[in-house]
Amino acid sequence: MPSGNQAGPPRPPTRKLTIIAQDPGVLSGGRILRARVTVPAEELDPGPRGYRVQVIDYDASTGRLYRPLRRGLNGDPFQEADDEQLLSSPHFHAFNTYAIVMRTLARFEHALGRRVSWSFSGHQIQVAPHAFADANAFYSERDRALMFGYFPGRQGTVFSCLSHDVVAHETTHALLDGLRTRYKDASSPDQAAFHEGFADIVALLSVFSLPGVVTELLARGRRSRRIPRSDLDPKRLRRSILFGLAEQMGDELSLVRGSALRRSAELEPSPAHLADPQFLEPHLRGEILVAAMMNAFLAVWLRRTEPIGDALLDRERVAEEGANAAEHLLTMSIRAIDYAPPTDLEFSDFLSALLTADTQIQPDDSRYGYRNVLLKTFADYGIHPASKVEGGAWEPPEGRLNYGRTHFEQMQRDPDEVFRFVWENRKRLRLYEDAYSRVLSVRPCTRVSPDGFLLRETVAEYVQILKLSASELKRLKVRKPADMPASTQVTLYGGGSLVFDQYGRLKFHVRNRVDQSEKQSARLSYLWEQGQFAVGASRVRRISRLHRQRTTQLPALLPEEY
Amino acid sequence: MPADAQPQSLAIRAYKVGFGDCTLLTFRYTGKNRHVLIDCGSTGSDDGSISRTLKRVAEDISERCGGKLHAVVATHRHKDHIGGFTTSRSKNSSGDLIANLKPDVVIQPWTEDPKAQPDAVRPTGVSSGARAFTAALASMQSLAAAALKETQRRPSAFGRNMLKQLRFLGEDNIANRSAVVNLMKMSRRRFYVHFGSVSGLEDVLPGVQVRVLGPPTLEQSGEIRKHRSEDEQEYWHLQALAHGHAGKAADILFPGAKTYAERSLPPHTRWFVERMKSVRGDQLLEIVRALDTAMNNTSVILLFEAGSKKLLFSGDAQIENWSYALNRPEMAELLAGVDVYKVGHHGSLNATPKSLWKLFEKRSRSAAQDRLITILSTMAGKHGDARRGTEVPRKKLVDALRSESNMFSTQTITSRTKPWLDFEIEL
Repeated sequence: MPSGNQAGPPRPPTRKLTIIAQDPGVLSGGRILRARVTVPAEELDPGPRGYRVQVIDYDASTGRLYRPLRRGLNGDPFQEADDEQLLSSPHFHAFNTYAIVMRTLARFEHALGRRVSWSFSGHQIQVAPHAFADANAFYSERDRALMFGYFPGRQGTVFSCLSHDVVAHETTHALLDGLRTRYKDASSPDQAAFHEGFADIVALLSVFSLPGVVTELLARGRRSRRIPRSDLDPKRLRRSILFGLAEQMGDELSLVRGSALRRSAELEPSPAHLADPQFLEPHLRGEILVAAMMNAFLAVWLRRTEPIGDALLDRERVAEEGANAAEHLLTMSIRAIDYAPPTDLEFSDFLSALLTADTQIQPDDSRYGYRNVLLKTFADYGIHPASKVEGGAWEPPEGRLNYGRTHFEQMQRDPDEVFRFVWENRKRLRLYEDAYSRVLSVRPCTRVSPDGFLLRETVAEYVQILKLSASELKRLKVRKPADMPASTQVTLYGGGSLVFDQYGRLKFHVRNRVDQSEKQSARLSYLWEQGQFAVGASRVRRISRLHRQRTTQLPALLPEEY
Repeated sequence: MPADAQPQSLAIRAYKVGFGDCTLLTFRYTGKNRHVLIDCGSTGSDDGSISRTLKRVAEDISERCGGKLHAVVATHRHKDHIGGFTTSRSKNSSGDLIANLKPDVVIQPWTEDPKAQPDAVRPTGVSSGARAFTAALASMQSLAAAALKETQRRPSAFGRNMLKQLRFLGEDNIANRSAVVNLMKMSRRRFYVHFGSVSGLEDVLPGVQVRVLGPPTLEQSGEIRKHRSEDEQEYWHLQALAHGHAGKAADILFPGAKTYAERSLPPHTRWFVERMKSVRGDQLLEIVRALDTAMNNTSVILLFEAGSKKLLFSGDAQIENWSYALNRPEMAELLAGVDVYKVGHHGSLNATPKSLWKLFEKRSRSAAQDRLITILSTMAGKHGDARRGTEVPRKKLVDALRSESNMFSTQTITSRTKPWLDFEIEL
C-alpha cells in the first residue's frame, strides 16, 4: 500500500486552456479566433478556484450567483466548444477569465523570477466575470477582486470578461499594486498615468505575444502563406497590426478598455505632448507611454524579420518574430518594476528602469538593438532616461557601504535585517532621518535570460513618510502652493529600491528622496491644483473611479468649488 | 423708446417648494404687468405632498398674474425644476393650472429642441453632434429610471443612506414626460436657447435686455474643452448603450444556467457577495450623479438688465456650463453690476463658481444701500453629505452669501398661508 509520502507519477507543472485570443470580434476563417495558453497546473475546485485565483460568478445587478462547472476541471473543458457555446456558457466565461488572469500572473512571475503577491492580505484574488450590468471593469484592492461588467451591444450582450486585453489590463493593475502599492498614491501626472499606461502595455504585448493573433492580422483575409516584404514597413505595420487589431476589437468595448491601441497608432511622435495640458488627464498621458512602447515593438519586429528574406516572407515566421519581440518587451517591462523607485514614479524613471533591467540580463544588445530602439521611440515622445549615464541605465551606488553588521543569508528574506542595513548606512544612502522609514518587502529572484543565463538578485524596497504642516515645508526648501493654508497637513513620500547581487552587495539604489525640494514642490503644486487636499478626496476604489472618469469625461474643477 | 415701454419696477416672488425652484417675476410697466415664471418643481416638500404644494403654488401664480402668464422659463429637465408642469387626467394639477395661463412663450435650453430629439421625423438641420447629445440625454433619463428600478427591486442590497441618495437622484433624473409634453404644448412660441442666442423674451419684456449666458452649444463648449474632440461622444455613447443594458438587467443573461438560492450561498462566496452589493450601490450612485451633473449643465442662464438693475438666474448650472461664459473677457464687466443673484442649484458646492462670485462688485461685508441680494431656494438634508463636503446647501457657500450679501432663503419661511419671499425692486 502506498504511503502518503510516496511520490506518484510526475505531474506536469503547466496545463493548456482554451481562451478567446482577443475578443469575440476577432475571427479566423469565420470563427472566433482562439488560443490555447499555458497556465500553471493545479487541482482546481469548482469555480474554478485555484491557489491564486477564485472565480465567484455573482451578478450584483440581478442578485444571481451562478453554479460553477463541476466536471472536467483539470483538463481543457472547452477545447472542442463551438462559437455559440463560447458565447453562451457562463462556465466558459469563468474559465476564460481564470486562464487569462493566471497567464498574466505566471507571466509576471516568470519575468521577475519569483512569486508575486497581491497587495491585499490573502493569496487568492476573487474574480467576478459577470459582476454587473455596466460598461466597466476594474480591480478593487478593498474588495480583493477583479470585476468585469457586461452590457448590450449592437449584436447581443458584450462581455468584458471575454476580452483578453481587458482581463489582462485589470490583472496588471492588481499585480502592479502588489509590487508597488504606493503607485496608487496621488503624486505627479506621470504616476497617475503610469498605472493605466503600464496596464495597457502589458495587456497589448500579451495579446501580440500570441502568434495566432499576429498571423491573422498579417494575413488580412489572404490565403497565401507568404507575404511581400513591402507589407513590412513601419507605416504599413502600424496600419495592419495596431489599427487592424483596434478595428477588429470593435468600438463597443472601447467603453471599457479605452482606445489606447488605436490612439497609440494615431498619436504622432512629438516631445510636446508631455507639456500639453490636455495630456495631464491620466488616460491620455498613459497613452503616450503606450505609443512609445508600441512603436518600439514594431521597430524591433522589423529588425527581427530582416534575416528571413528579401521579397516574399513566410507569414508564420514573420508572426513568430513579432510574438517573440512582444515577449521580450513584455518581460523587460515587467522586470523594470523591480528597478523603479517605489514612490513618485515618472516616465523617465521607468525608461531607465527598462534599460537597466535589460542590461542586467542581456549585456550584449547588438543583435536586435532593443535598448537603442527604446531610447529612440521614447525620445520621440519627449521621454528621456532619468539616469544621465550613457545608455540610460541606472548607476551603481556611490561610496563605500557598511555590510559589517548584517548577515548575507538573512538579507535575502528578512525585512528587519535589510532595515538594519539601511539604518546603518542611512547617511551614505542619504535617508531623511526624521521621516518614518520602513522596509516594505525583500524578494529574492532568479531571472532567466533568453539564452538561459541565470541572474540572481534580491530586491528590497523601503519608503519614507514625512508628515508636516504646510508652514514647516520651508525647512526642506519645499515650496508651499501659494493659497494653501499654513495649517494644512501635508504628507511627503520618498523611498528607494535596493537591488543586491548574488553576494549581497548593493548593485542599485533607485530612489526618490523625501527631502528632494524641486520634485516635492512640483508634486504639492500639482496635487493642490487637482483638489487632492479637498474634503472627500479619497483613494477608495480609485481605479474604478478613474475608469468611470474616462467614460464620463467630467473634468475636475475643484478650485471653483465651495 | 417711450417711457411706458420701460418697466418701472420688478416684483420677485420666490416660492417655498421644498427642494426645488419656482420664481415668479412681475415686471411692472405703466398700466400693465408682465409675468415671467422661472421653473416650477420640487423633489421634497416639508408638508409631505409635493403635488399639493405645487398646486397651491400654481393657484397663487394664477391669481397673482390675473389668469395670464407671459412667459415660462424651464431652465432644465430635472423634476425639481419642471415637475410642477406635470398634468393630470382630472385637469386640475399644477401643470394644468399653469397651462391655462396661456404663456406667450416658453423658453428652454437648446437640448430640449424637439428637432434635435432622437425621434424627430423631419430633417432637422441640427448637427449630428447635437442630435447625439440630446439622444443621449434621453437615454440617460432611461438609465436613471433603470437604476431606480434596480434599487426598488432589491432594496435590501443597499444600505439605508445609499438607498436614500439613489432614490433622490434617480427620481430627479427620470424623464418627467408629462411635464415635457406640457411645456411643448402650452405655447406656440417656443425658444430653445444657448449662449449668445436671442432669449425669446424680447417681445414679452419691452425695455428689458435679457442675455443668455448658458448653456453653451457643443461647439462652444468644445472651444474650451481640454479633452480631444473624439472623446466628447464617448460619454454619450456610453449612456446610450447603458440605456439598453441597465433596462435589461433583470432579464436572464444565461437561460438555463443554474444559480444558487440567496439563502444557500456557499460559505466561501458570502463575504465577496456582500462586497459586491456594496460595489453595485456605489456604482449606481456614480452613474446617477454623473447624469445629474450632465442634466444640471443644460440649464438656461439668463441675465436680465432692466433700468439700472441686473438680475441673474442660473437654474442648476454647474461650473462646466458656466465655464464658457466665464472664459469670455466681456463677462467681467457684464456681471460686475449684478444686483440680484438667484443662487444656482439650491446652493450646492459647484454651482456658484468662485470666479463668478468674485465678479459681483456689489458684494459687501457691511450693509450698503445697494448691497447684492441673493435668493436661495433650497431644503437642507435632501441632497449630499456634510461629511464629504457635498451637503446642499453647502455651508461654506451659505456663509459667504450671508456675510457678503443680503441673503434670503426659502428655508426660513414659516408662514403656511403665504409660503413665499417677496421682493420689490425699483428699476
